[in-house]
Amino acid sequence: MLKNRSNTIIKIVIYTVCILLAILSIAPFYIMIVNSTRSTVEIQAHAISLLPSRYALKNLAILTGKSFDPMKGFMNSLFISCGATLCAVYFSTMTAYGLVVYDWKFRKPYFSFIMAVMMIPAQVTMIGFYQMVYKIHMTNNMWMLILPAIASPSMVFFMRQYMYPALSMEIIQSARIDGAKEFAIFNMIALPIMKPAIATQAIFSFVSSWNNLFTPLILLTNQEKYTMPIMVSLLRGDIYKTEYGSVYLGLTLTVLPLIIVYLVLSKYIIAGVALGSVKG
Amino acid sequence: MKKKLLSVLLTAAMAATLLAGCGGSGDAPAADGGTEAPAAENTDNAESSSDEGEAAAPAGEVINVWAFTDEVPNMIQKYKDLHPDFPYEINATIIATTDGAYQPALDQALAAGGAEAPDIYCAEAAFVLKYAQGDASGYAAPYEDLGIDVAADIEAADIAQYTIDIGTNPDGKLVALGYQATGGAFIYRRSIAKDVWGTDDPAEIGKKIGPGWDQFYAAADELKAKGYGIVSGDGDIWHAVENSSDAGWIVDGKLTIDPKREEFLDLSKELKDKGYHNDTQDWQDAWFADMKGEGQQQIFGFFGPAWLINYTLAPNCGGAAVGEGTYGDWAICEPPIGFFWGGTWLLANKDTQKKEAVAEILRWITLDCSEEGLQYMWANGTLNGEGGTKDAVASGTVMEMSNGELDFLGGQNMFEVFVPANQFANGKNLTQYDETINTYWRDQVREYTSGNKSREQALADFKQQVADNLDVVVE
Amino acid sequence: MGKKKNRYAKYGYLFCLPFTIAFILFMLYPILYTLIIGFTDLKGLGMTNFKILEDPFANFKTILTNPSFIKALKNTVGIWIANFIPQICLALLLAAWFTDKRSKIKGQGFFKVLFYMPNIITAATIAILFKAMFDYPMSPANDLVMSLGLSDTPIQFLINKTVTRAIVAFIQFWMWYGYTMIVVISGILGISPEIFEAAEVDGANRVQTFFLVTIPNIRTILLFTLVTSLIGGLNMFDIPKLFMLGGPDNATLTTSVFIYNQAFSGSYMYNRAAAASMIMFTIICILSAIMFFLMRDKDEEKLRKQIREQEKAYRREQNALKKAGKEGA
Repeated sequence: MLKNRSNTIIKIVIYTVCILLAILSIAPFYIMIVNSTRSTVEIQAHAISLLPSRYALKNLAILTGKSFDPMKGFMNSLFISCGATLCAVYFSTMTAYGLVVYDWKFRKPYFSFIMAVMMIPAQVTMIGFYQMVYKIHMTNNMWMLILPAIASPSMVFFMRQYMYPALSMEIIQSARIDGAKEFAIFNMIALPIMKPAIATQAIFSFVSSWNNLFTPLILLTNQEKYTMPIMVSLLRGDIYKTEYGSVYLGLTLTVLPLIIVYLVLSKYIIAGVALGSVKG
Repeated sequence: MKKKLLSVLLTAAMAATLLAGCGGSGDAPAADGGTEAPAAENTDNAESSSDEGEAAAPAGEVINVWAFTDEVPNMIQKYKDLHPDFPYEINATIIATTDGAYQPALDQALAAGGAEAPDIYCAEAAFVLKYAQGDASGYAAPYEDLGIDVAADIEAADIAQYTIDIGTNPDGKLVALGYQATGGAFIYRRSIAKDVWGTDDPAEIGKKIGPGWDQFYAAADELKAKGYGIVSGDGDIWHAVENSSDAGWIVDGKLTIDPKREEFLDLSKELKDKGYHNDTQDWQDAWFADMKGEGQQQIFGFFGPAWLINYTLAPNCGGAAVGEGTYGDWAICEPPIGFFWGGTWLLANKDTQKKEAVAEILRWITLDCSEEGLQYMWANGTLNGEGGTKDAVASGTVMEMSNGELDFLGGQNMFEVFVPANQFANGKNLTQYDETINTYWRDQVREYTSGNKSREQALADFKQQVADNLDVVVE
Repeated sequence: MGKKKNRYAKYGYLFCLPFTIAFILFMLYPILYTLIIGFTDLKGLGMTNFKILEDPFANFKTILTNPSFIKALKNTVGIWIANFIPQICLALLLAAWFTDKRSKIKGQGFFKVLFYMPNIITAATIAILFKAMFDYPMSPANDLVMSLGLSDTPIQFLINKTVTRAIVAFIQFWMWYGYTMIVVISGILGISPEIFEAAEVDGANRVQTFFLVTIPNIRTILLFTLVTSLIGGLNMFDIPKLFMLGGPDNATLTTSVFIYNQAFSGSYMYNRAAAASMIMFTIICILSAIMFFLMRDKDEEKLRKQIREQEKAYRREQNALKKAGKEGA
């Protein structure tokens, strides 16, 4: 009896907290979507409103009437984000595997080195990166936004931390006895075990790559190569007359693919306990 | 099952990668370019031209234009439309300034040079000093080196002096000019003027609110007596205060607080203490509300150039025809102190290989005062057909022959005020640090007016902030 | 083990090769650049010539005695602590709720998805929305305060330093607790379910299970969370920069915003910015090392007690994995 009642109380607390947090999470999306149906003047009068207006189509017309092509931007963003995410996830897991499974002389120093790379503040280092890209005339090359993802120190760190408890040497040993090659063991055995970690990191990587604005802004100067966030930034950038309605519409459209990717990948995070190690 | 889902997802992602990769087919070979950098340059050029579908356009046929909005690229496109024999393609790079990437990208592109370097680039008032007179002025080609007869053209077009001062490099040569004129006026509500002074005649009102701040505050007092505020917030008078000073923030590498700028502390404090304004900040909700007359108290007017009327006041007045909202209830008069606000300047790269074509475009946009020139179309709102937005332009000659009557201003011809307004604006008290220093200054003034700190403390903290963040001597 | 070590060691190098190559191609030059120019006179736009200063540490001394930098450092640490502690607590609590098989929270998948959502919107949008929310004299926050009768006149929230700092800390908290929660959950999902079952059989209640089973088993992931959050927190840039440009009166100036200002706000003092970066790098390294040390230290304290437990758990886990491995193969 007593246990039941306390259970109920706990559940009430849990649901109350969760619902409050959920409202806090949805609110900005709601405001963003509502604002994308409002005119610039309405937004300037009240930046935050709960009631939608009727300017969605007008805002869309402004958005598509600019000199760039949102569809093209979408494909560019997709290309860069998918490419960067795949590179980051695959090669980070690989590096972590090398750090966890094999015992080599420079294993510890190498890990410390990766940690150190992760700790360098970005502001000044980025100046060097831009300088380099401009000097070798590789601007407007989307690969310059994808390939650096192969070296993602924080993801390697996460994968290593995850792999230590999750991956047992015994499995690897038995696979070796079965005659599997090292590379095949990594692809066939380690990767599936790492699935929840990979899904988690893939989401984070995709989101940050999709939302990345500053680096593409500086490196992609050709309109053909513009990404979605660059286009939204251009809308905002018309300093003398910013069309806020279409800016919000652009932001909403930018966010939608992210939500879809997240919903799909989150299945791996949401699924029951220990999906990673037991049930393949 | 789950394995399948993941693999489907990964395949889809792969496919998307490949698909998009095909779109820019030239991308793939460039991928290994990171290792063999020198060879990459050619690949890259071939690539960008093939992307745009120009069959084998030889290098040098393209003019690179860098801008922060599509305004200037659209003008150049118009030029091409009007001159079908103009042989060059335009490759426009547009990077918004809002996210702070335009300048870093432009700086890198100018420094890197090569075929992709900008031939023509635009600079906004907030940072034009850097490109015309400051750290980056070395990249800018003097207009006369391009073959433009600068002295004669300026004379003929009657270009506002402040834009010339700003566009003149340390060697005294003109490197940048604009097409807009952003000299400011005082934009006021006719109905309020009638209520307080019994007249809405711009000449009369100009004498009530100016010249000088004493006169302006006397008017504020009269307005207050009838329950009106004279301006919306202290940001409104700042541009006028800033521009009225004799010295800029930096003189000979030292931070200088001109007495007229220091006075802003007191002016702002008085506005607040006496309730002369609604204490709004520019570009925030409450500021826009005052344009409709929906603030705490009715606001008499705003300081601003023509673009503020077109892009900000008119859309936010609560109507689109006379009688709706405050539409048509406005008029403009000479401000108590001359000033300018904003504007776009055009510069040319000194290394450009297409001097004649670049000169042709720059001249058409900034100096041509004929009816075929850009500025005539810009002033009369005919650039994209009849009925466009009329705007003040750099050339006084063009404004003289144009019609600046606006329904929004109750039929007043705005050019009658803006032509002299451009003469009052001062282009000699600016530095490339202004944007940063102004931010610190306004921040500290707000600290003082809201009672958070004393006047001395605000000044001391301001000096400290400048010393900490800029390479400037502070005494 | 000894022999195998030699046989397989080369794969260690091989598996780390892609990372190394990408690092050399894309990051080495920028990092060396940062490292070196901190000791030089490089400032001003487009300058390429620079020389090492006579006093190589002059820039470092300038930064360390710069009142704005000191203030920025205090702000950064303060804002980080104010957002990280509630963030990790809430994340752990939610993770415990959502992974607890006994409470079976309905709609937890839905909640998990929602809680991460604030992280999806760009920082610029969030900064604009929050600024509009607390604006003066007209804003939703002021409407609320006045309709509740808490104040007769609108309040200028964003000129109050504490309020502004608290808002920045809140935004950081709100944007990142979902992320931390997901990381923790993914860590818990990596624990073998048999360990939990064993705990249940032993009669452990929820609280005990959480502190005695879950937490020790996700220690590596917690270390990751602590260290990455430390790095992210001390490099905090977007929100403070976009929300109030580091104001009012430097109240939300963080070290990264400071570094950015040194390099870009007018004087292009790349050398000073690089020196400040290196100082931050050193601070972060030291703090991270302390965290690594602390997490390891705790291990050793309980070593004896845990060795036995862990061995037991380990054996179970391995059995389970072996099974999984066979199925997978």
